[in-house]
Amino acid sequence: MQYEAEINGRSRLVIVARDDGGFVVSIDGRSWRVDAARIDRHTLSLLVADADTGIRLKPHAAAGAHEAGRTVGYEVTVARDPATARLAVRVGATPVFVGLESGRRWRRKDEQHGGGSGPQRVVAPMPGKIVRVLVQTGEAVHARQPLVVIEAMKMENELRTARDGTVSEVHVREGASVDAGSVLLVIT
Amino acid sequence: MGRFAVKKILIANRGEIAVRIARACREMDISPVAVYSECDRAALHVRYADEAYPIGPSAPRESYLRIDRLVETAKRAGVDAVHPGYGFLAENDDFATACRDAGLIFIGPTPEAITLMGSKTAARTAAKKAGVPVVPGTEDPLSPDVPDAEIGRIAAQIGYPVLIKAVAGGGGKGMRTVTDPADLPSAIRAARSEAGAAFGDPAVFVERRLARPRHIEVQLLGDEHGTVLPFVERECSIQRRHQKVVEETPSLAVTPALRDAITSAAAAVARTVGYTSAGTIEFLLDEDGRFYFLEMNTRLQVEHPVTEMVTGLDLVHWQIRIARGEKLTLDPRALLTPSGHAIECRIYAEDPDNNFLPSPGRILALRPPAGPGIRDDSGATAGLDVPIFYDPMISKLIAWAEDRPRAIARMRRALTEYLVAGIKTTVPFFTWLFAQPEFLAGRFHTTYLDEVLAARAGRPFVEPDAEAEEVAVMAAALQAVMTAPAVSADRSSQPIASRWKQQARVQGSR
Repeated sequence: MQYEAEINGRSRLVIVARDDGGFVVSIDGRSWRVDAARIDRHTLSLLVADADTGIRLKPHAAAGAHEAGRTVGYEVTVARDPATARLAVRVGATPVFVGLESGRRWRRKDEQHGGGSGPQRVVAPMPGKIVRVLVQTGEAVHARQPLVVIEAMKMENELRTARDGTVSEVHVREGASVDAGSVLLVIT
Repeated sequence: MGRFAVKKILIANRGEIAVRIARACREMDISPVAVYSECDRAALHVRYADEAYPIGPSAPRESYLRIDRLVETAKRAGVDAVHPGYGFLAENDDFATACRDAGLIFIGPTPEAITLMGSKTAARTAAKKAGVPVVPGTEDPLSPDVPDAEIGRIAAQIGYPVLIKAVAGGGGKGMRTVTDPADLPSAIRAARSEAGAAFGDPAVFVERRLARPRHIEVQLLGDEHGTVLPFVERECSIQRRHQKVVEETPSLAVTPALRDAITSAAAAVARTVGYTSAGTIEFLLDEDGRFYFLEMNTRLQVEHPVTEMVTGLDLVHWQIRIARGEKLTLDPRALLTPSGHAIECRIYAEDPDNNFLPSPGRILALRPPAGPGIRDDSGATAGLDVPIFYDPMISKLIAWAEDRPRAIARMRRALTEYLVAGIKTTVPFFTWLFAQPEFLAGRFHTTYLDEVLAARAGRPFVEPDAEAEEVAVMAAALQAVMTAPAVSADRSSQPIASRWKQQARVQGSR
């Protein structure tokens, strides 16, 4: 199986092949032999060994990591992040967000963190109630300006724009309930 | 045994604290009774209790804050006593009165003590009467009809920076710092709005903000026979927007002499109001070593476990024993002599990498830490939805060890074990915090965290290295391969017959 993975703005080519009861996983041409056990629907135990020269991955930077023949264990959870439609992966204690598409390029559905060009869609990061809408269609906004106040779990939270622009669409009204991931405003 | 028999307790709360109280009930052969709102039908506290009753829709005002329904449910279930936990109605004198009028024991102080100490302005007066210094501020509550200009004059008199605080406040809600007079009106509006929503009382007062104080507090127990006993102090200076996030005991900033002084002052304040049950007196400790009365919390506190860990006592047991009329038979010296060190992290369903926005949703997988010295007081389980209606705290994680460095090491170990999928939690934030030199050295004050967080400007707390990124990509792809319907490799969902075949293949290949 072949996948296109996006991580921290970088695209990586991943190929997974079954091999002798386990898997061989290659990322951008580098291969590992992986024994993967599913613990539950979202939890994997991975035992990873370098397929060519022993081990490169390591649990602790200090621990004689380059010895050949070592197999390193990881406990990993994988779940979809409803706000961004990416995969929220946790490797040990480290959260990593991965966009994964089979075969074709993965496109970011959430542009709100991007400082780049194109419309910025401001989405609700969690379900909640819109307490205040602070801008109107056509209004010029500057980076970090508060746009909407959303209330969830007894706290009011301001959502701000990532960059300068103009409010081109407003999709919510005060008092409205919204789901995680719903588009509230668009800044162009 | 006391004068009153307590065989069955209604827990007027939800989530982790309801579970924690139910555990104490079980240990004391008392039957725990749960209540739940619409969205909490599947919550752990409902599953853990002997009996459970619906009390209304999900919004707190229509369920957990409904005094009439709670009292009616208590009578219907035939309980002897009601435990309010913390939050919701825990510091509501009307609720304590309603319980008393219905012939139910309210596990907490008297309604009179709640009324007095629940008003921050009245509590300041009580502290002054006991000879304990208070932070400079307004003597009377400022009701909503006091104009902003008037509050502006008062604030200017006290001197900026000032704190706008809800008179009925708690837990950091309804509180705003104002440094620039121009920000005063919006701060008052926000504080009033939050206070009105959270406590049903929009009155605020103004207090000077000390420059770099530490938050030191003293746990107390009082019985109906006139005994008030203080415990070794807790330090809760690690706060985000006035909300405690880490608590520990003992405090690095408290010398034996200061401990004697501050615990005696706390007990003196409690005695002036004839305080019974568990309560906490909060102080600010200034850089010059002087301390000021801040407020009294007339309830159990979120951070009570750290005190339990270093004294070996169970404060909920003692609340119940006091409520049934028992005498405090504890050795006062022992309560002031901590055994080892304990630290608590409040685990929230929040996204620390996105300005701590709430992260409600379904918990898909959960494995809390365990092992030596670790205590996880949780209300969460896999499969549960964290609702949007309530406080986002899902668990209190407590580490105990013989000294502070070892307690920190243990907490760091526990944080790496905390496995949660489906929602975001503050675990990565704590992982970062517990590696900060200032935190490790105990060099902090109540605004330390807000300052360093502002300086970090939203950088991720735990940044993945190349290795973590590679393993994450690997896991994402393997998860996709293994969940693909054609190649089901899910061991748990495989039919038994095929597992036999698989086993046979493994055997044959040896």
